[in-house]
Amino acid sequence: MPKEILKVENLNMHYETLTGNVDAVKDISFTVLEGQSFGLVGESGCGKTSVAMSLLQLQADNAKITSGSIKLDGVELVGMSESELRTVRWDGISIVFQGAMNAWNPVIKIGEQIREAIREHYPKKSKSENTKKISELFNMVGLDESIMDRYPHELSGGMKQRAIIALALSCDPKVIIADEPTTALDVVIQDQILNEIKKVQDLLGLSLIYISHDIAVIAEMTDQMAVMYAGRIVELGPTDEVFKNPKHSYTKALLESTPSVVGEKVKLKSLEGEPPSLIDKQSGCAFAPRCPNKNETCNPTVDMELIEISPDYFVDACNASNS
Amino acid sequence: MAIYILKRTYQLIIVFLLFLVLSYLLFNAIPGNAFQSLLLNPDLPKEAYQRVLETYGLDKPLFERLQLYIINFFKGDFGYSYNYYPKTPIDLIAERLPRTLMLFALVNVVSFYTGFIVGKILAWRRGSKSETWITITSVFSYTVFYPWFALLMLYFFGYKLGWLPIGKFIYPEKWYDAPFDSDVVFITMIKFTVVATFIQFLAFIFTRNIESLTNRKTARLVSFVLLLLGSYFYWGSGSALEQRTYAADIAYHMILPVFTVTIVAFAGTALLTRTTMMEVLKDDYILTARAKGLSQKRIRDRHAARTALLPVVTSFIFTIITIIDGSVLTETIFSWPGMGQLILQSVTQEDIPVAMATFSFVGILALVAHFLADISYAYLDPRIRIKSQG
Ligand SMILES: Nc1ncnc2c1ncn2[C@@H]1O[C@H](COP(=O)(O)OP(=O)(O)O)[C@@H](O)[C@H]1O
Ligand SMILES: [Mg+2]
Repeated sequence: MPKEILKVENLNMHYETLTGNVDAVKDISFTVLEGQSFGLVGESGCGKTSVAMSLLQLQADNAKITSGSIKLDGVELVGMSESELRTVRWDGISIVFQGAMNAWNPVIKIGEQIREAIREHYPKKSKSENTKKISELFNMVGLDESIMDRYPHELSGGMKQRAIIALALSCDPKVIIADEPTTALDVVIQDQILNEIKKVQDLLGLSLIYISHDIAVIAEMTDQMAVMYAGRIVELGPTDEVFKNPKHSYTKALLESTPSVVGEKVKLKSLEGEPPSLIDKQSGCAFAPRCPNKNETCNPTVDMELIEISPDYFVDACNASNS
Repeated sequence: MAIYILKRTYQLIIVFLLFLVLSYLLFNAIPGNAFQSLLLNPDLPKEAYQRVLETYGLDKPLFERLQLYIINFFKGDFGYSYNYYPKTPIDLIAERLPRTLMLFALVNVVSFYTGFIVGKILAWRRGSKSETWITITSVFSYTVFYPWFALLMLYFFGYKLGWLPIGKFIYPEKWYDAPFDSDVVFITMIKFTVVATFIQFLAFIFTRNIESLTNRKTARLVSFVLLLLGSYFYWGSGSALEQRTYAADIAYHMILPVFTVTIVAFAGTALLTRTTMMEVLKDDYILTARAKGLSQKRIRDRHAARTALLPVVTSFIFTIITIIDGSVLTETIFSWPGMGQLILQSVTQEDIPVAMATFSFVGILALVAHFLADISYAYLDPRIRIKSQG
């Protein structure tokens, strides 16, 4: 059994806004095992990026973690001071942002922006050591070493994203988060980047958190996965099991609305309706209004806690029975 | 880049020629023939009268005179000052220009630096109480009626408190038996400043490649201390030692004008920096920088301020152009004998050769500043650098 490198327990986070609190992360718990890849999937707006930002504690100014625990390799991150967090960032957990196209500072050379990160966490390393490290990383992600001396605007979107992956690897972090790393790219490049991430993950045995709204990508990329709906995890388990035999109505709906590349052509069902606003407090199953399996046994006051229905397989109470 | 520079230089020359012709025609249009102030002088000997007429071709038609003027201009012949004969306009400019440049270079460096730093901090601490107050103060000093403010400063520091001299360049009584001219001392001061700045700049460039940040900081600190020591020895020996008390007198006279103009000038930079910086702080790469675990200071200075610098530098360079015309007001209020006063005098007293020369000089300065603005912008922003190559 591999080591539990990142353990998140009952994490709650909300954004304070003029119209009320937006509960973007509700009672989230999951574990990332060393060398494995963990997927987080859900419609846009369900709180995936909020989870990622909470892990690094890089949330917007109006965000607040109200309770819960985040343990990286046994070290508690919630409640750490800013200077302690700085040592964890990038060296402990690094992240490839959603829309990473603008993640590079336009007036600093690519190489220098990577060097800067290494320098921050390993100040004793010499310039040539750092250069060597960056060239190795560039080779790994399929970039020429000369890219180091380029400015961001001189690179194509795909190259920028490869360089971002190199940047994320530069301090050998314990966990890497990839938050929709391909959304801003065109389809052909998307595939290349996915393969690149997969290759690097196998090669280095990375512990990866892969976030996407596309369940097909999660199938391809991850060992464990969690399905998020309206700020909560509704189903969590080994990826192949979830795909083979989804329990939650939302997971089923997601799968039915996704074209599969292999296998016979089936008519896709689109998921009707909108996810609920995260400002309104609701009790019971948040998916109920859109749920095709809704019936009189649905209890609006039922506790939405996850139930372990088989080892390491969790699904919320409402759907536990309807497998 | 080379082609770009050549093209800009070519445009520059054309614009300058136009400028020269226009100013000549304008001065020519002053009613009552500007040259009369000299020629009507009854003490002027007959031969001299004749010689002046011939040298300048004053009896010739306007077009030929213009041609002659331009040819002489490029030969470096600006004629003689009517008021300070036998000094040439060049002599006068050479005497006055350093005083203006020194004063305003100092003001600009100080106000740009303080303005940029204050603006940066304001943006960083937006929403705090100190931010609100400093912003309000900056808006006040940005919009204050400058001559009134300058007079107020003079009244307060020069008269009420008596801490600082009321205008002028030197205390003449101190220089009564001085072994040198004030300009000699002043040139020494300028040379010293330029060399010191240059050394500091070199130190900065050479330490750029030190990988470890703490070592880089230490190296810069050491170089700065060495520079201070060097200055101490420079002013403590040789001819600089003899000039020291006189240099101190000039420096003492510079404090109030520099301080006053800085207060007015820094606010613009501070407010502009604040605005651009707030925009930059929303950019994605700031989040990347935070995620990398960089320190607040480094994110602010290296990532946010570096990008916010672009528009601030441009606006700054355009204010440099206004140094000379701005100097007319400042130098009049503080009785500072520089270019501004020279322009004002030469125009009001119809000292046409001097006026023409100073005007052309201001023109050249403005054009060169625009030129430098373009080039430095291309240097600061790699995105422009690429475009201008193609
Ligand atoms: N700074 C913020 N202030 C208020 N609400 C926010 C803020 N950031 C995100 N949200 C809201 O939180 C919810 C979750 O957003 P996000 O985590 O970005 O979702 P996802 O990444 O799954 O698309 C959304 O409803 C979004 O509108
Ligand atoms: Mg997102």
